[in-house]
Amino acid sequence: MNLRVVGANLVVSIKSFYREKTAMFFTIAFPIILILVFGTIFKNQENMSFKLYVQDLDQTWSSAHLAETLKLNGKFKITKVDPAINAMQYAKENKIDLVLIIPKGYESFFNQRIESDAAHASVTIRYIYDPSSSSVSTKMQILNSVFGVINQEVTGTRPFIRTAETSILTKKYRFIEFFIPGIIAMAVMTATLFGTVNVNTELRQKGVIRKLSTTPITRTDWILSNILHQFIIAVICTIAMLVVSYAVFNVSLQINAWLPVFIVLDVFTFVGIGMILTRFVKEAQSAAAAANAIMFPMMFLSGSFFPLEMMPGFLQKFARILPLYYLNEGLRASMVFVNHMTALRYSAIIGVFAAVVFVLGIMATKWENGK
Amino acid sequence: MTKETEYAIEVDKLTKRYGELLAVNDLSFTVRRGEVFALLGPNGAGKTTTVEIIETIRTPTSGKVTLLGMDVTKKKRDIVPRIGVLPQGFSSFDRITVRETLHYYSRLFGGMRRDIDALIALVNLKEKAKEQYKNLSGGLQQRLGIAIALVNDPEVVFLDEPTTGLDPRARRGVWDVLLGLKKKGKTVFLTTHYMEEAELLADTLAIIAKGRVIATGSPGELIESNANYLTLTLKSVDNKTFEIVENLGFEPVHDNHNNIRVRVGHTDDVQKILNAIKDAGASFPGLDVRKPNLEEVFLKLTGEALREGPVGGRGAE
Repeated sequence: MNLRVVGANLVVSIKSFYREKTAMFFTIAFPIILILVFGTIFKNQENMSFKLYVQDLDQTWSSAHLAETLKLNGKFKITKVDPAINAMQYAKENKIDLVLIIPKGYESFFNQRIESDAAHASVTIRYIYDPSSSSVSTKMQILNSVFGVINQEVTGTRPFIRTAETSILTKKYRFIEFFIPGIIAMAVMTATLFGTVNVNTELRQKGVIRKLSTTPITRTDWILSNILHQFIIAVICTIAMLVVSYAVFNVSLQINAWLPVFIVLDVFTFVGIGMILTRFVKEAQSAAAAANAIMFPMMFLSGSFFPLEMMPGFLQKFARILPLYYLNEGLRASMVFVNHMTALRYSAIIGVFAAVVFVLGIMATKWENGK
Repeated sequence: MTKETEYAIEVDKLTKRYGELLAVNDLSFTVRRGEVFALLGPNGAGKTTTVEIIETIRTPTSGKVTLLGMDVTKKKRDIVPRIGVLPQGFSSFDRITVRETLHYYSRLFGGMRRDIDALIALVNLKEKAKEQYKNLSGGLQQRLGIAIALVNDPEVVFLDEPTTGLDPRARRGVWDVLLGLKKKGKTVFLTTHYMEEAELLADTLAIIAKGRVIATGSPGELIESNANYLTLTLKSVDNKTFEIVENLGFEPVHDNHNNIRVRVGHTDDVQKILNAIKDAGASFPGLDVRKPNLEEVFLKLTGEALREGPVGGRGAE
């Protein structure tokens, strides 16, 4: 190993990367765009308000009060529907997924129940709804629970089961905070794997590697400078993503020593896989396809974008054989849940895996023609 | 440990097999210090395999190759800093400039080269020093490749088909650079299939076909010993003249322009033919007598070698 040679090689790699604007965009800007897009979607979901159409056929103080209660501090935005029109037709024509109808006589039944405790006095609130709407069942669930509470209060019975919540986390985390560690792990994987496979197959195909084999640079120098190059890019990427996440979404994440540990492991894992792939990919053109074939299943199946609990059981089991899963969960354990034992366990698992693929990768890297 | 000999390169009974394929077959030749040596051969003759074994990037199946007194299979680390290589189909980092590329290679060799500018001037790339590799034309890229091969001030320079794929002007540009090297007294090992290039540059050449040497010597010697005949061309002749020449026992051939070409052994034969035509009262507007060039020698020798049947099989390039 010769540090001067490694340094010279590193300078050339970084200049090449910096001058290749498309690669730069996909490596650095793309993950940031993902964060912005998903972050915005999740942000709206957190303070989401539903539209609710209410047709008040009673037109009394009590019915108006009920409609007012249903706003639930802004959870629903209420639109009044003219009592004279046909609600069914109105919903159909205006593509409205839910119209709540307060029946005529609401106030008088309410008063009968409160004042004379008349058990037979009850009202039916009708939902006119469109079952094809994805949010309608959520709305109806919320409304049902509101009516449940009202029923209890009106009948005066105290609830038997109450619920109490204690979070296992010191603080409540938002979806964006769950999302960021996954995107960091994914972006480092993409940059490293693409970088290793593309650059190496291209240089080999063009004959640059053959030229290099007539100079004093060794395979070790080459691999070492490649690792350093990928690590520098990974660090730049991660910093850029974190800066955007803090600036735009004001996330609250734990940045501790585990972050560099997992980034180093991420780089070693995918440089290793990249070197193995390089051996089998003949042409630069098929390199991207080969890298994609490895990356896409990992992106979607190892919990980068969605919590694994959303997936069917067999896919959850499958995720556990994907290296990216351990990087995702390890980073989340350290950055979100601040669980050092879990981070340690995942780093140990991925560390062993990284060591194995890296050694295989070195063995797979042909330098001299040899024969 | 290295013994300095008269020869920069000694190749002794070199054989290289790729499975069934015999790429280089019992090849022997020597290259003297300070000469430009050209390895000449048709495509697939085993030129690149041979040169890559000498450059230490391939290993021979059998035989011995000594470079600067060192065994190429054992002394790679000692040999590499002392040679410069322009590989076949040379290419470099797309987005790195001419000057940066030379600095890079210079640092790989220990950064001993401080006069990068002189090197850039040597290959006439001064105006392109800040240009990225991908923006250079083929000829300029090759010239950069030659500059890279010189970056460690090597004792032996290997140039594997330095002008293949270049247009005539670009080729001349590369030749100018190579003639400059020749003047400096560098030992240059050149492989090519361009006769003109070999004739212009080489002190010694070896012609190989199917992995074997079929002739060696200086261009002049090779022509002398393999093509000691003259070609007489008679221009715009009629059939009568053709018959006269034929009747003298020669074998005239027509070409496309109503000319006839006759291969003769000696200038006396030329005299004899001209006299016979004159005596018969026939005439011709012009004539041309020419000694054969290297190309004819090459075609004759390689043609024979290829017709001889399977010596080794197809070479790998």
